[in-house]
Amino acid sequence: MDSRLAKEILLRCRPGTAEASDPEFAEALEQAKRDPELGRWFAQHQAFHKTIRDRFRQLPVPAGLKEDILAGYRPAVIPFWWQQPAFRSLAAAAAIVLLIGVAFFWSQPREDRSFAAFQNRVVRNAQRGYVMDITTTNLGEIREYLATQGAYADYVLPAPLEKLPGDGGAVLRWRNKTVAMVCFDLGNHNDLFLFVASRADLPYAPSTSEPQFTQIGKLTAASWSTGDRTYVLAGPGDEQFVRRYLSP
Amino acid sequence: MAHNDNDGRLATQQDFELLVSRYYSTLYQFAFSLTRNEADACDLTQQTFYTWARKGHQLRDASKVKTWLFTTLYHEFLEKRRRQVRFPHLELSEVNQDLPNIAPATVNELDSSTVLKSLARLDETFQAPVALFYLEEHSYKEIADILGIPLGTVKSRISRGIAQLHQILTHDPGPQPARTRRHG
Repeated sequence: MDSRLAKEILLRCRPGTAEASDPEFAEALEQAKRDPELGRWFAQHQAFHKTIRDRFRQLPVPAGLKEDILAGYRPAVIPFWWQQPAFRSLAAAAAIVLLIGVAFFWSQPREDRSFAAFQNRVVRNAQRGYVMDITTTNLGEIREYLATQGAYADYVLPAPLEKLPGDGGAVLRWRNKTVAMVCFDLGNHNDLFLFVASRADLPYAPSTSEPQFTQIGKLTAASWSTGDRTYVLAGPGDEQFVRRYLSP
Repeated sequence: MAHNDNDGRLATQQDFELLVSRYYSTLYQFAFSLTRNEADACDLTQQTFYTWARKGHQLRDASKVKTWLFTTLYHEFLEKRRRQVRFPHLELSEVNQDLPNIAPATVNELDSSTVLKSLARLDETFQAPVALFYLEEHSYKEIADILGIPLGTVKSRISRGIAQLHQILTHDPGPQPARTRRHG
């Protein structure tokens, strides 16, 4: 390393800093030791450096600057993840989707759990045509069959019905609940249909044993509840006709 | 939850106060060496900390805080200078009249104001590297990061800047930098 290059390197040497041990500086310093003229120059330069450095560091800082900075400081509250704009946008989008979903849900025909719905379902099923699981005139056999199928077989028949011959029986389902169907032969290809369900499965069922009548299609239906059971008896004709089979 | 929020805010504010206490002086000195104007230097320093308050949490490496602050201040300075022309238009000859005729032996009698005026006469590309060099807050590598220039360029500019400063302050008859006006 020649003196000119050493001088250029030593110009930017900051004694007392970690850089002073840098190989580049170390080599230049060695050169300054070997070259008396360079050594003298470096000594002068060090004094120059120290003076200028001190003047920079002594540069007065205005009183109150720190206080001004702190006074103007508004703490940067780093938003939690749920306060981040991106999440808020996502949440807003999710809320909109949810609202649309709810609106769609409410706009859809909901499951009708009314007793009328039950009546309609079972009585219209009888009118549309059905398949009996057992065909017999023997009411006892029908009851036995229903018992074996887990349907309600403990029904109490009004006396007029007890006198009619059976036509058959079947097990229906209503909201995943079992409904027993007993068919009575009225002759002339006419039937009476008795549906027996658990009262607990039909929260809006008649609460009394007094029959309530309604017309469903071509059939007249009478409904009542006794004990744990709810009954629907449907038959051709008017209320008066059906009522004849309910009480003696 | 509110308790945690308050604690978090308090910790942030304490951190901020600590940061200001530690760096505001050297940041101001660097700013003043660039602007030679107290008000502008104060503005730059304050703006730097405000920027930190808003964006500092994005810095992942805590060891880079100091470099980040100086880099931000320098960028603010460049941006401000780009937008404004506030510094007086001075011919070099006019500046010369403000400078005392200093012999090498009297260098240690210089005050900070004279040193800063001399710094202002350096070629603009030398001013920031030389100021950072004398503040002794940063390694060459950090100065390169702050100024956004290669390490070799930093070393070269510092050497040449010091040589110019030396000539200006000691009134050596060495060549002056080709510079006829100062712009804001």
